[in-house]
Amino acid sequence: MRQLCPALLLSLLSLCVFPPCAAASASAAADYHEQLVLRPLPLSALLASFNFRSNTTVSEFESGNFRFFPRSLGQILQHAGTRELHLRFSLGRWDAESWGSRPWDGAREGGTGVELWAWLDADTDQEADHKWLTLTNALSGLFCASLNFIDGTRTTRPVMSFEPEGDHPNTSAHSMQLLYGVLPHEVVCTENLTPFLKLLPCKGKAGIATLLDGHKLFDASFQSMAIDIRPVCPPGGECVLQIEQTIDMVLDIDRSKRPRDNPIPRSLGGHELLCDTSKPYHSHDTCFPADQDANQDWSLSQIFGKSMKGTCPLADPTVPPVCLQVPESRAVYTIDGAVEIKSRDSRCFQISPESDLELLLPPPGDEAQDGAAADILPPGTPPLYAERSFTGYGQERGGVQTILRNPSPDTEVEFVYMESLPWFMRIYLHTMEARIAGHPAPSPDNHPLIQQVYYRPALDRARGTQLEVRMRIPPAATVFLTYDFEKSILRYTEYPPDANRGFDVAAAVITILDPQRNGSGRFAAYTIRTTSLLCSLPTPDFSMPYNVIIFTSTAVALAFGGMFNIMVRRFVAADEGSEGGLGALRGKLLGRLGAVAGRFKGNQ
Amino acid sequence: MSLPQPPGDDGAAKSPGPAAGAETVAASSGPQAKKQPPPEKPSDVRRRSRIILSFWLIVLCLGLPIWWQTTSIYRADLPLHEMLEWADGKACRPVFPLRINIQADSLQDQEAQNLLRLTQHALDDLNDFSGHHLRLQLSPPPGHPPESSDRESALTIRLVPGDTATASLDPHEPVLDITYPPNAIPTATSSSSSLATYVAGQLRSTFAEEQATISYLLSTSSMPSESRPLGLSPESAESLAKRATRSLKYAPTYHLTFSLFTSGPLPSSWDIGAAIADYMKPVLTVLSPIHNFTIDTQVQLYATPGVPNEVLNKEDLSSFVNAAEWPLSPSIGGAPTINFVVFVGNQTIAGERAESEHANTGESAAHSWLIPQWGTIYLLPLPDGTAHLSSAALKQPLLTFTSHLLSLLGAPRSGSLPLRLSTLGRIRSADLLLRASSTLGSLARLALALPSISIPSSVADGVSTTMLHLRRACETLGGAEGLAHARVAEAEAERAFFEKSMVGQLYFPDEHKIAVYLPLLGPVAVPLVMGLINELRAWRRRRRERRERGRGKKME
Repeated sequence: MRQLCPALLLSLLSLCVFPPCAAASASAAADYHEQLVLRPLPLSALLASFNFRSNTTVSEFESGNFRFFPRSLGQILQHAGTRELHLRFSLGRWDAESWGSRPWDGAREGGTGVELWAWLDADTDQEADHKWLTLTNALSGLFCASLNFIDGTRTTRPVMSFEPEGDHPNTSAHSMQLLYGVLPHEVVCTENLTPFLKLLPCKGKAGIATLLDGHKLFDASFQSMAIDIRPVCPPGGECVLQIEQTIDMVLDIDRSKRPRDNPIPRSLGGHELLCDTSKPYHSHDTCFPADQDANQDWSLSQIFGKSMKGTCPLADPTVPPVCLQVPESRAVYTIDGAVEIKSRDSRCFQISPESDLELLLPPPGDEAQDGAAADILPPGTPPLYAERSFTGYGQERGGVQTILRNPSPDTEVEFVYMESLPWFMRIYLHTMEARIAGHPAPSPDNHPLIQQVYYRPALDRARGTQLEVRMRIPPAATVFLTYDFEKSILRYTEYPPDANRGFDVAAAVITILDPQRNGSGRFAAYTIRTTSLLCSLPTPDFSMPYNVIIFTSTAVALAFGGMFNIMVRRFVAADEGSEGGLGALRGKLLGRLGAVAGRFKGNQ
Repeated sequence: MSLPQPPGDDGAAKSPGPAAGAETVAASSGPQAKKQPPPEKPSDVRRRSRIILSFWLIVLCLGLPIWWQTTSIYRADLPLHEMLEWADGKACRPVFPLRINIQADSLQDQEAQNLLRLTQHALDDLNDFSGHHLRLQLSPPPGHPPESSDRESALTIRLVPGDTATASLDPHEPVLDITYPPNAIPTATSSSSSLATYVAGQLRSTFAEEQATISYLLSTSSMPSESRPLGLSPESAESLAKRATRSLKYAPTYHLTFSLFTSGPLPSSWDIGAAIADYMKPVLTVLSPIHNFTIDTQVQLYATPGVPNEVLNKEDLSSFVNAAEWPLSPSIGGAPTINFVVFVGNQTIAGERAESEHANTGESAAHSWLIPQWGTIYLLPLPDGTAHLSSAALKQPLLTFTSHLLSLLGAPRSGSLPLRLSTLGRIRSADLLLRASSTLGSLARLALALPSISIPSSVADGVSTTMLHLRRACETLGGAEGLAHARVAEAEAERAFFEKSMVGQLYFPDEHKIAVYLPLLGPVAVPLVMGLINELRAWRRRRRERRERGRGKKME
């Protein structure tokens, strides 16, 4: 029963923590909607989830009248024949072990770098490729990202991992093609945030978007910016095109509270240290730092550097702009005039459009000291933990090992594991193997871990490897999925600048399938991205071409000179030949010296 | 190379060396004691010569051509001479023959012919610019089906008897209505007529602006001076230059973007669809034979202009558009974008106005200005709290936008709308023709100036297509067909000029070549050259010896 509790709590949480996701189709009628959900996490972290959603009817979109929907993006979609688009900019790693389950069940998250997948309206593969090229180039200009580097080698067509989120008419389903591209090396930064904010109807000038600031966003331990565009057809209503922009960031509270003009952390004085007094060695001169959960006092302006400036007047007035998820027992102070709407574990705040919102969480009171968990909501348990790393050594071969752990004590997890690997990692598919930790032999055949494999081998310099594996993991089991690969040697011009850093390998996408798919359930119950990997390839000395030229030239010249001389010259006995080389020169010099010396002597 | 040199190479160096112990003893006794090698067999000498000769032959006949072939840059043959001729205007004289129909139903055929002849005389006397030629013809009497030439006519003159001589342009059709007093009909014998002079004067003033524009275009291009007109006053040239820089480059499709920018949160919606349909669509429909238009609209709140001042000076107007923040990115696809911005805010323009010649409507003058080749900004002051802009409130901005659109497209300012549009077509074809020619000239000069630039065959194809279409455009100048040909020619010329692969190898410095070639060619060339020199010397010595020997024999 005790073990059941987290699972129950998780399902409850997933319903109430992120209501917009569940209610996405229900509230599609409202034209613009924005909400910020703040949720303190263990280890003095704070999750801030910004969500902006705007709709435009399909007829307005097609006639080119843009009001809430950004024109710049709308034109690109029209030009590239895009039905549905998903774009992700991410940085950092979601620490599932301590932070628990992901926001939006991982649906609004991407792997490190930039990820893009879209359903394009195309009948043939060539047409789809052409439109994909147009789309990536246009988005590249719009978001100041190197999306134009998503070429054939970085594009795949996933088969099992993705399904459209929007409502597409059945007639057009056969002419839609899914393309997926990823740039793991891209560094997401302020220049990507600025165009992101420009797409919002209220820009960054009013509403929750005023809290978004590049200094804070890209200083976070984890951040993910997402743009999702999909058609939504409410039953009985006109179809709308919906753009949803999401930013999730996990801020380190201590780090954020440092003043911006003096960001260097200073060590605290002895009396300010929080010590764990339960340790036996605790005394007046030894201190074991206490768990930082106790330090969860903050205010909105401390965390984001400024307070929220009013609300966006276009936003749906029934949706409170800011919600805070803390236990009921926790005290929260706000400005006068803010209306607090309390529900279980969640407090939302309504303010008038002109006033600034400020939130203040005082340090937890003494009554909460009996259990640290009372300060924050306990994090939910994700359905699966995944981590991926390289194995092996040397410059020739390597291996990839993914450790997948099902924490649930009684339900098995079915998911699709997708890798899109660069072409220079040639995997040996026969070495792919999944085994349960503790079982030395591969799993018995009557219950295979690997249910289905879709593999599209790489072509050198033309396309990357695509590997999709549908797996099922029994309850409370840890599975190792391993395979080996060979590193190929690149051509001289194919190495990027700073080749010795290594080559980024995109995150694996793990899509956990919804067991209640048959009903109205979503395709993916939960999505996980592993971290990206850094693969080091043998790198040459880049002055090599000149060295090779000079070396071979010397060898050729030596061989040629020797051969030519042997053929052309005449061989005579040593005493018959004329003097040549150094000996002749020395003789000449000696003769001259002797003559000068003789003249000198004669003068004397 | 430790091999001993062939004997006789170095006759001067006969000094002793410490080669061997026995030799030092011999050498100390004198150079004469040096042992001579046995004389070479003639077959050996011949073989050596052949070896050296064959090496040199291989180098010269095989090595050099291969090297030349593999390192040379591909340069397609361009008709440089013809291209330069086009650029200099020697290949085509732009002539616009304009047909003008005279419709005189009330006149006898004989009278009409006479009037036509006199008017043509008067026109030819007035005209000083051969490129722009007005040709009169009688239109067929009503009831007959119109011939093909009738449709090509630029203007129809409708002569109607009346009290006094008046002229007025029909606002909807290219028709000039002229009334004449009954006594003004010239008799068959008279050599001059007041009516003919009057008609000629009217025609000339109608086409004066077109003539000036075309002659301005010709004078700014590198066309030879004989086809240029003489009389262009500096003021009119300046105003024409201003208009030419203001108008956009010709494109078959333009993209119109209507944006509502507000400095605060309101208004956030507008009836732009209805307003465009009411106030702008009629003009767009008339323009549709020449240009296509695509339209989109957007609303942007919380827009801060690039100039924070409340009162805008003339200098502020150019920096009013906040390019960094306002999402006015050009549309993707080939069509150029024209921006029409309605800015709702409390800014006003200082002084009476910025560009008075655009004040078609006096009221709008103080609120709007035109940004050359970009679009128009209209400042719309609104009472606080207006949440929605109705179609009626947008009337004035849209009328302003419409008149600015015509000047952005380069249409002349005077005349009736149909006449302005047909003039626009002619001006555009002249402009495109001159542009394409000058691009060809630039390409030819580039190819001449940079001998190391590669010219792929696609450039040569583009050039030949351009010249083909230029030739056709020149033949059919003035009509719709000429415009189409000029458009293709211009697009092809641009494509050929901006060919990407031409820039690739532009910079390949000589130092690199030396660094690559020297390590190989140096060590290989030294033995080859030395061998050749030695062989030549030996051959000369042998010849001399043979001659001496022959002389010695003779002496004996």
